[in-house]
Amino acid sequence: MARPPALQLLRPSAEPAPPGGSAERSLLVRSAQAGDVRAFAALVDMYYARCLRFALHMLSNRSDAEEAVQDTFVRVYRALPSYVEQESFEPWLFRILANRCRSAGSRERRRAEFVEFGEVPDRPSDHRHDDAIAWREEIALALAALPTEQREAFLLRHVEDLSYDDMSAATGAGVSALKMRVKRACDALRAWLTEERNARRD
Amino acid sequence: MHDETDETITRIAAALRQLPAVDPTQKARVLVAVAAERERAKAQRLRTARRWRLAAAMGAASAAALMLLVMRSESGTRRLTARPMERATSAKTPAAPSTTNPGSSTEAHLAASDAAGLAPLPVQLMLRAPAAHRVSVVGDFNGWDTHANMLRRDPASGLWSGTVTLRPGRHVYAFIVDDSIWMRDPRMPQSRDADFGRPGSVLLVGQP
Repeated sequence: MARPPALQLLRPSAEPAPPGGSAERSLLVRSAQAGDVRAFAALVDMYYARCLRFALHMLSNRSDAEEAVQDTFVRVYRALPSYVEQESFEPWLFRILANRCRSAGSRERRRAEFVEFGEVPDRPSDHRHDDAIAWREEIALALAALPTEQREAFLLRHVEDLSYDDMSAATGAGVSALKMRVKRACDALRAWLTEERNARRD
Repeated sequence: MHDETDETITRIAAALRQLPAVDPTQKARVLVAVAAERERAKAQRLRTARRWRLAAAMGAASAAALMLLVMRSESGTRRLTARPMERATSAKTPAAPSTTNPGSSTEAHLAASDAAGLAPLPVQLMLRAPAAHRVSVVGDFNGWDTHANMLRRDPASGLWSGTVTLRPGRHVYAFIVDDSIWMRDPRMPQSRDADFGRPGSVLLVGQP
């Protein structure tokens, strides 16, 4: 049976809102701070997809990532009164999100350790090491193999396009340390992908 | 140290930059969770304000009691000075009942009105949605929790209904159809303070 049209009109949009300029973003943040809930909803529309992308790359699990993003927006809403506009909104948002992903990541690692020692699988791993592995899958594996700090730094720099100063505000680490993390991440990704290609060629 | 953005890194970054598909239900859940947080903060502020009112009433009661005590003590001293024979009688006189104390009376009145005025009442909510598979009600009374109050469907009429127990006063609520569609109650007036751009309805409980 067809759904009544009145209900369909109320379904939230699936497409991410076009990214707003910094003036529009500042206006939305100020309005949200003043209690305008529609402005906050617009900020969620503006940043949801980017936050989900970052959380997915950090956690490699959709439901954990969605939970981390939801929790991040609740924390952002709670912390809005203490946000000062001298600080850029994006690094502030990514600081909360990165913290949330680090906590979720620690829980995930503990769970993985428990499974590793508690339930020994009786079949070989399902990992496919054949030519059909897609480029994106290879990257995802390579990214997941990086230490958390390097993965986070690489994503903030090369995917979220944050400056090193903004990255420093988002992570609390110094600029030199962040540059070192990004360099090591790049080296490791290159090495991993080269090794994978060579292994498939043999 | 420089960013090593060679071709491999550029390709990796390009692949990772693709935005994931967004489930609109998840985005709606974020807004519901934020609305719940707002209600929680509002309730916290109300509780704090009530505690302050009660503390102020108790302070006033204590001040009044102290004043009464001082006045009595002064009049007792005067009486003692004027008529020494009345001293023993005065000491045996029972203390004034607490209901005559203006401060205690205020406090008792507050407590009584709280008890009488905040007694929850059952309210039936209904929505006609014959094509829906699941309907729940969210509002300030259940922390905007999409699973707290599920409605039941009458197969014959396609009418979804359920009863919630609400404290007297103004409530804002909406229906969630099939976990993803937010809609207001078409039978009731629309709330002006619709949450996050989603429409809500107003319900007045226990109002004449």
